[in-house]
Amino acid sequence: MASSYTHVGRQIHRATKLVRRDVKDALQRRYFGLGSATFQQPAATVSGSAEEIVIPRKKTWNKEAVLQALASTVNRDPTASHYVFQDDSYLTPRTSAEFKLYSLAQESGRTAAKYFINTYPKYFQKDFANPHIPCLMPETLELQVNEVSEAALIERIQLRKVKAAVDMYDQLLQAGTPVSLDLTNDLLDLISLYGDCDPARGDAPEQRTEEMGEEQEDVKRRKGMPQKASDFLRLVWRENNNAERIFNMMPERNRRSYGALIRGMVKHGAYSKAFNTYTDLLNNRLTGDVHIFNALISAAPEVREKYVEKWDLIVDLLKQMAEQKVKPTLLTFNAVLKALRRCGSLGRTQAFPVINEMKALGIAPSLATYDHVLGIFYKAATSAQGHTEILQDVLSEISGKSFTAQDPDDVEFFKDAMRICLATKDIEQAYRVHSLLGVGENWKLLGDSYYQSIYYGRFFNLLCMMEHIDVVLKWYKELIPSLYYPNSQGMRDLLQALDTDNRLDLIPQIWKDIKRMGHDNKTELVEEMLSLMARENQIPEVQQSFADCALDVKALYTQTDRRVPLSWSAGSLSSITSILLAAERTQQAWEMLKLFKLANRVPSESLMNQFLESVKASNNAQQAVELVQISASFCLSITPNLMERVQQEFDLTEEQRNTLSDLESSTAMSD
Amino acid sequence: MAASLRHSTLFTTVCRQLNSTLWLNVGGRSIHSSAVCCKNRAARIRVGKGDRPVTYEQALHPHQIAHRKGWLSQHTSNLQGEDGAADRTVEDLFIRRLIYGTFHGCLADELVIKRRGNLLVICALMLQKLPPHKYYFLVGYTEELLSHFYKCPVKMEIQMLEEKSVYKYL
Repeated sequence: MASSYTHVGRQIHRATKLVRRDVKDALQRRYFGLGSATFQQPAATVSGSAEEIVIPRKKTWNKEAVLQALASTVNRDPTASHYVFQDDSYLTPRTSAEFKLYSLAQESGRTAAKYFINTYPKYFQKDFANPHIPCLMPETLELQVNEVSEAALIERIQLRKVKAAVDMYDQLLQAGTPVSLDLTNDLLDLISLYGDCDPARGDAPEQRTEEMGEEQEDVKRRKGMPQKASDFLRLVWRENNNAERIFNMMPERNRRSYGALIRGMVKHGAYSKAFNTYTDLLNNRLTGDVHIFNALISAAPEVREKYVEKWDLIVDLLKQMAEQKVKPTLLTFNAVLKALRRCGSLGRTQAFPVINEMKALGIAPSLATYDHVLGIFYKAATSAQGHTEILQDVLSEISGKSFTAQDPDDVEFFKDAMRICLATKDIEQAYRVHSLLGVGENWKLLGDSYYQSIYYGRFFNLLCMMEHIDVVLKWYKELIPSLYYPNSQGMRDLLQALDTDNRLDLIPQIWKDIKRMGHDNKTELVEEMLSLMARENQIPEVQQSFADCALDVKALYTQTDRRVPLSWSAGSLSSITSILLAAERTQQAWEMLKLFKLANRVPSESLMNQFLESVKASNNAQQAVELVQISASFCLSITPNLMERVQQEFDLTEEQRNTLSDLESSTAMSD
Repeated sequence: MAASLRHSTLFTTVCRQLNSTLWLNVGGRSIHSSAVCCKNRAARIRVGKGDRPVTYEQALHPHQIAHRKGWLSQHTSNLQGEDGAADRTVEDLFIRRLIYGTFHGCLADELVIKRRGNLLVICALMLQKLPPHKYYFLVGYTEELLSHFYKCPVKMEIQMLEEKSVYKYL
């Protein structure tokens, strides 16, 4: 019995050893995410000895490892709407206008709630959360400290109340209390940043100050506002505003004070003043810092006219930077490249030396760097003239890398790259750009919803132009409408692509999508679709589906409820009629003919011939005579021809012959 | 009649004495009782004429919970060794009243409140009474307000119905 126990024990032992070896192999093979697991100590290699117990390495996972593993199994769902919306068909936006409306409505609800929370904070003070969550506590946006003191000034600066801070500073000076240099510098920074006006409060309901439109910045805005209001109402650095006044009153100024003033001037457009202030800085035997130089470099193209002069100024600034032992950063080089974009052909020669300099200093380029390089080499007006290698080189260099946001201009890269691909009609590079989006965190650099719509619009345009229809449709299902709501031009591109590859039978499905997206009030789009359907005859099932679609479109023209109906044109009427005739829905086609009269449009001769063919097929002499009468009423030149054909090909009764001869005489008289 | 008068005066003196003693005991505690709802009448809609539409939730009585009904409020404080059940119940009541008032006339059925970790999920069935952007406004408002109130993330998941789903007529 003891032997059986030892036997069993040995079996279990061998089994666990095998299991442990398998587990160890499995652990070595599994690899979730980057750095989600760490191994504590390297294991000794297993020798073949039977009795050795191998303890596997202990893995520690970081907190998000499970979530990362689960996330790696799920791809984006192209049938779902954006994640901020509720998953219900009534509440899903179908057009870009609805997208903007719903997301803004949700944000405004949040703002309304924040208004109540901050106005009545005593109901929200009880703190259940352990650990404490600071963002769920009410904020104090009102000023607490009201006596004239430095603490009051600090509070106003922190709450970003520019005017109140300036008033408090003046009161402090009048009362005779000296304000410390750091605090004055903070005040100068505040004034320069906001251009001497109060920023609009995010949650105040009706405060629309005339100066700045506030950025209710949410990523969810799509093709809505083309520009933010602040772009139209750009703040100007007024003469002798508070920043300058306080600056001049300061007993001593250091580099930070000058820096605040210079950067504020550059931000708000007073470029030459910024350079004058810089000269003052140098005259006071102070040195600049990197922020000052970045601001001055970005202002340099504005104060000189010729390309060479601009470049000389920039080189001069860089030399001074080196003399004053200020180390350049990524933003410095990006500012240089951005200025080079406005230096014409000089930019092309100087761009690569700048980049080499950057690499020599060990500064990794960001997407803004590459965007400026592309902007230098691909000017908007000129098409690609032997410079196509630049885009390919750039893409080869950055493929597989994940970038983070380091420069505000990083978000321009993707849409500019796609613009270049569209201009050069290069679908391969477009695919590479698009795959770059999938790497790491690059999706965050695609920009807000307006930029996204531009990017996807260009991408889809290029696809419709260059790719086979099956590929186009695959991308169509992938992109629309979960990522992008195309405009009517985009839908016309899609119709062109269908036409090119002879897949016109898909038009009724596309029509459903057009209706859903709200483009059914665009007359050019509808007419183009109708003319594509009417152009040639199709196989019977397709023809029937076309006829149903045409009747649907006709309903759009005639409905009067709640919307302005489309107005008939000769083209659309003829197209619908010929589609109906080809599908052998003669009754409805005849009704269409009557619509011609109502809408004051003249049917074409080919349409009349088509009618005659169909009437002959049904061998209805009465309808043939009616057809000739209608043709005469429109005074078509084809009328005598029709009349002859009718007289020859149909056997008419006496009455019909008389009618025809009357018509003949009347038309002969009118000629 | 004299006897009844004497009885009535006796009665009034007793009452006055009682009153005075009660008045003297005003600082003390006494039992406060609300209206009684017996357990065989709670949450049950009785059979009537047959013209009253009733949803599935309302039609099934509480003893059918876990047989034919589910729970409207899902949290773990009723498990062995967990505490906070009373707090969760009070929170639930508050949330139900808040949402009943905020989405007035739009709720099709009772709310289902689920707690997953720190997250509070409010699942609501609503009628298509308002245009969608108004629903989004109210959803954003409620989520933000309740998050700040309960110091935990609150999410609402809404499904829309054309009209209330009637199970039977009682």
